[in-house]
Amino acid sequence: MIVPYSHVLILASIIFILGAACAVARRNLIMILVGVEIMLNAAALVFISASLFWQKLPGQAFVIFLFAVAAAEVATGLALIVHIQRRTGSVISDDYNHMKG
Amino acid sequence: MTIFGIIFYVLAAIILIATVLSITRRTVMHAIIYVVISFFAMAVLFYLLGAPFLALLEVIIYAGAIMVLFIFIVMMLRVEATPFVPGQWLRQWFPAVVLSLISLFIMGILIWQGPGRDATLPLAMAAPRALGQFLLQHYWLAVEIASLLLFVALVGAYYLGHKGDSGEKS
Amino acid sequence: MDIILLLMLLFPLAGAVLNAVSAGRLPRRLSGNVASMAVLGSLIMAIAGFILLGERTLVVSLVDWVSVENFSASFAFLYNPLAAIMALMVTFVSFLIHLYSVSFMREDKDYCRYFAYLNLFVFSMLVITLADNLLFFYLGWEGVGFCSYALIGFWYQDPEKAAAGRKAFVVTRIGDVAFGIAIALSFFLFGSLSLTYIYGHLGGLTQVSATVLGLLLLWGAMGKSAQLPLTVWLPDAMAGPTPVSALIHAATMVTAGAYLLIRLFPVVRLSPLALAAIAGVGALTTMYGSLSALGQRDIKKVLAYSTISQVGYMVLAVGAADIIGSMFHLLSHALFKSLLFMCAGYVIQALDDEHDIFRMGNLRRLLPHIYWPFLIGALCLSAFPMIGGFFSKDRILLATFLGPGIIYKVFWAMALLAAFLTPLYTFRMFFAVFQERPGGRSAEEIKPVPPFMAYILWPLAILAFCDGLLNLPFGPGKDWLARYFSVLAGAVVALPAPPGYELSMSVGSGAVILAVLLFTYVLYRPPGPKFSAPRLEAFLFEGLYLDKLYYSVFVVPYERLARFWWQTVDEGGIDRGLDGTAQLFAMLSRGLGYWATGRLSTYVKMLLVGLTVFFSALAVRWYLW
Repeated sequence: MIVPYSHVLILASIIFILGAACAVARRNLIMILVGVEIMLNAAALVFISASLFWQKLPGQAFVIFLFAVAAAEVATGLALIVHIQRRTGSVISDDYNHMKG
Repeated sequence: MTIFGIIFYVLAAIILIATVLSITRRTVMHAIIYVVISFFAMAVLFYLLGAPFLALLEVIIYAGAIMVLFIFIVMMLRVEATPFVPGQWLRQWFPAVVLSLISLFIMGILIWQGPGRDATLPLAMAAPRALGQFLLQHYWLAVEIASLLLFVALVGAYYLGHKGDSGEKS
Repeated sequence: MDIILLLMLLFPLAGAVLNAVSAGRLPRRLSGNVASMAVLGSLIMAIAGFILLGERTLVVSLVDWVSVENFSASFAFLYNPLAAIMALMVTFVSFLIHLYSVSFMREDKDYCRYFAYLNLFVFSMLVITLADNLLFFYLGWEGVGFCSYALIGFWYQDPEKAAAGRKAFVVTRIGDVAFGIAIALSFFLFGSLSLTYIYGHLGGLTQVSATVLGLLLLWGAMGKSAQLPLTVWLPDAMAGPTPVSALIHAATMVTAGAYLLIRLFPVVRLSPLALAAIAGVGALTTMYGSLSALGQRDIKKVLAYSTISQVGYMVLAVGAADIIGSMFHLLSHALFKSLLFMCAGYVIQALDDEHDIFRMGNLRRLLPHIYWPFLIGALCLSAFPMIGGFFSKDRILLATFLGPGIIYKVFWAMALLAAFLTPLYTFRMFFAVFQERPGGRSAEEIKPVPPFMAYILWPLAILAFCDGLLNLPFGPGKDWLARYFSVLAGAVVALPAPPGYELSMSVGSGAVILAVLLFTYVLYRPPGPKFSAPRLEAFLFEGLYLDKLYYSVFVVPYERLARFWWQTVDEGGIDRGLDGTAQLFAMLSRGLGYWATGRLSTYVKMLLVGLTVFFSALAVRWYLW
């Protein structure tokens, strides 16, 4: 008897929304990635609470995979950021509007 | 309202405050530090929710590896703080805030109308040994694929980050 | 005999098809000769048919055309003396006109089209002449209408001429509608459209049906024969080439209406009201035609109004129950009117397309070849005693006078007045064209015209001159035509006039006509008539303002209505609506274009929007559940 299940879900959704807001509102590429990380974290929270609720283990197993994927994605994303920073000297997303129109 | 409930709400508060602070900092380094705080609190929350091994993994991988990687990249690229332009801050945040509120409201409805609204979470703990056995018994293929994925990411990151004539090549 | 009739029809049709298909690739002479030979073939067949027919009535059925439930129509011919004589006249006059056209149209570039239409017209007219089935008749009727439109508007590059063709078609259409209704009514009343069947089953016809049928047929005939109130197309139809006017508007198409009434006379004569209406229309038209002809300046328009007047005589005769008189006058008129038209064509070409008679003159000296045929034609038209049209017109006047009731005496008076006006306008025209005048033409203004065009007119002139021999009221060949036609139902061989009536009427009218001729000669002696009444002249010139009346009553409101539908509804409403819809889409796409900023933040924002929408959809679905 910790808390009602819905409370955990609400917390997770708030964290998710905060991560989404960060990804939408920030212009810095690195901050966008931070927002993505926050979102992934929220998802992990949902999985763990669900696994606790249903008393089943696959939820927790999935979180491990989630961590693995998050790590891979961050590595690749940051490598890309480094690469384009070297090419164009900027990490502001507004400067990359070649696809306009 | 048991002791665990109180702990839960305190942790929730820490997480939320840290996250909010993080996303509103103009200096990237500050934002990352706040995110690390949020992840630590999240790890404790994981432990509370019966996943000690995952709490451990959160600290080691997420807060420890991923965020540190962020810090390395920030230091390497010498990212500068966003300059303050009067109207722009609002213009950036306004649509995000509006959309967030709407989404929050919708999600709230979804959660509230869903089944299991008042169902309480029991107190339980998943022993690491049991988790490990389960994982490698039923999801061994996924584990292998995850490792493959990590390998691909490694190669990609090396290739992209390689200095020299990689700038002209790609 | 079947072969003869079939060939009579097929020769001109083949000529038309050949000319149409070859489309100008044949040399000129060949195309013209093919057309003329086709009509010659028809003429030979007509002569053969006439000789072989004798006095019987022949019904030849060829092919079944339509056969649906209890309605059937077939290509069948009713070849009786009436049809035989009419076919002879049509083919003979057409043949001469074809030969004339070969010369007349020698410089025109649309030679083949002309002959194709002309042959097609002869085919349609022969269908009308021979048809036994009313639907087949209607086929020919529409055929002549179409060919007339095509030939009147032959020089269609001139919008006025094209408009004249359209006017002819539209006005005759008004008549054709009534004829169509009459055909439907006949089927309703008799159950069959075959003329022979109708002739034999008139027993059960009520007075009312006979009257209605008669009036509908009268209206149909009015359109094609240019009777009041549908006369307005004929003067405008003079926009076509002169041989076309000679053929269509003198001899054949305008007589088709009278021919229709004569063919259906057994039905029509059952209703005295219909007969009186027919006579009334004929009498009024005769007067109208003569009065209007008096005020015309264009040589062809004088002849056009004259035609209106003379066909009025034929219709009047039918109304007076004298179909023999009507046919007799039809034949005379065909001969002398086509003669007059062709002479007019010669004069027009010689003076380089001059139509105004008051700008001619001195032509007796300058164009001697055409003087005598023209004079003969004019004398026949004026019903000069003993010549050409005298006997036929006299018979009609007598028949009208003998009609039942006082109304026929009124009609007789109108026809008599018209008969006295005829020499007046005819010789006004004749003297204006041919007399020696100081303001007349001189030798340098004459263009050379092939003399063949004048020579070909002589057979016609002689026939017109001696036309009276067909039906003399006295002497050895007495009443030959009347006796020949006596097999027809309702034909009256000798009019039931009290003795002496006939002679006194003839002598009287002959004397008055001579007097009028003298008066005209004196009046129009150079330097021309001394009085002038401009208002009266204008009134007569405009055809008693009938055209203008129709214009203001029918054409102007129609144009206004059409303009409303065109500009306000179609262009303003429908077109603008469609344009607006298209522009709406353009605006939409431009609006959506703002979202393609190329900035990452925008796209991420959109992702969040999409996610929100997705969740709302879920929430709505679950909430409403």
